[in-house]
Amino acid sequence: MELSTHQMDGGVTRVDLDGRMDIAGAASVDLKMNLIAGSANKLLIDLQKVTFLGSMGLRSIVLPARAVRSRGGKVVLFAPNEMVEAVLKTSGIDALVPVHHDLAAAIAALQ
Amino acid sequence: MKPVRISSPAAIMPAENTLKPAPRLILKSQLDDMALLWPWVEALAVEYAIPSATLFGVHLCLEEAISNVIRHGYRGQPGNTITVDCASPAPRELFFTVEDQAPPFDPVTASLIEDEPVSSPADYLRPGGRGILLMRSFAGTLAYQRLAAGNRLTIGFALPADRLPSNPG
Repeated sequence: MELSTHQMDGGVTRVDLDGRMDIAGAASVDLKMNLIAGSANKLLIDLQKVTFLGSMGLRSIVLPARAVRSRGGKVVLFAPNEMVEAVLKTSGIDALVPVHHDLAAAIAALQ
Repeated sequence: MKPVRISSPAAIMPAENTLKPAPRLILKSQLDDMALLWPWVEALAVEYAIPSATLFGVHLCLEEAISNVIRHGYRGQPGNTITVDCASPAPRELFFTVEDQAPPFDPVTASLIEDEPVSSPADYLRPGGRGILLMRSFAGTLAYQRLAAGNRLTIGFALPADRLPSNPG
């Protein structure tokens, strides 16, 4: 599981996740995600390259998202594939963290 | 069926007392051992020409079922095992059987945690959390059987008729 971060205009922190968010993948990004969540106020989590998402992977997304929101920040999820999005919807996570497939709309939702 | 290639060949052995040998994955009751799951599932996907969407569901259901046993059934205690068998009794059917020797727990009828917000940390770590919800949603069929000393969960998937097996022999 790979994770990279990019600072975008407007104070948006973009986190690109790449790989399988299974138990091992989630464990490999947990610490970095928590660190990012500790400072970002506008967080865009790019799921384009996430090929698998299980419940522990969900946890790795939801807990940092909750941390950002608890400080008054915003979080969006961007471009999950069909199956990953099905996991998000089945779990009800999309109600907590909105999912966008258009980058401009995702960034606008963070403003 | 040809042997499945995996990083730890000793973890796989033919199923006993069955007419058609089925691949078997034996995992230790530790989360680190779950690294063996994806290579095994991926090899089965080639063997049975499993479509990508079905493969996603297979991986998801097995990860949730097995991790549930390790974390809750065995309470994280090492020294136990989980056995996973794969069988395709009919061309369009694929079944996975997960067996353990943990205390009885039926994920098919267990109550789901619905009184906590989705952002609750505990929601992902307790029996009845999101894992079981996902398993029920992505499995074609789920059947539970309490064993004399343990549990057996059978997870079924339908395979499309028009897929092209890569290894028809």
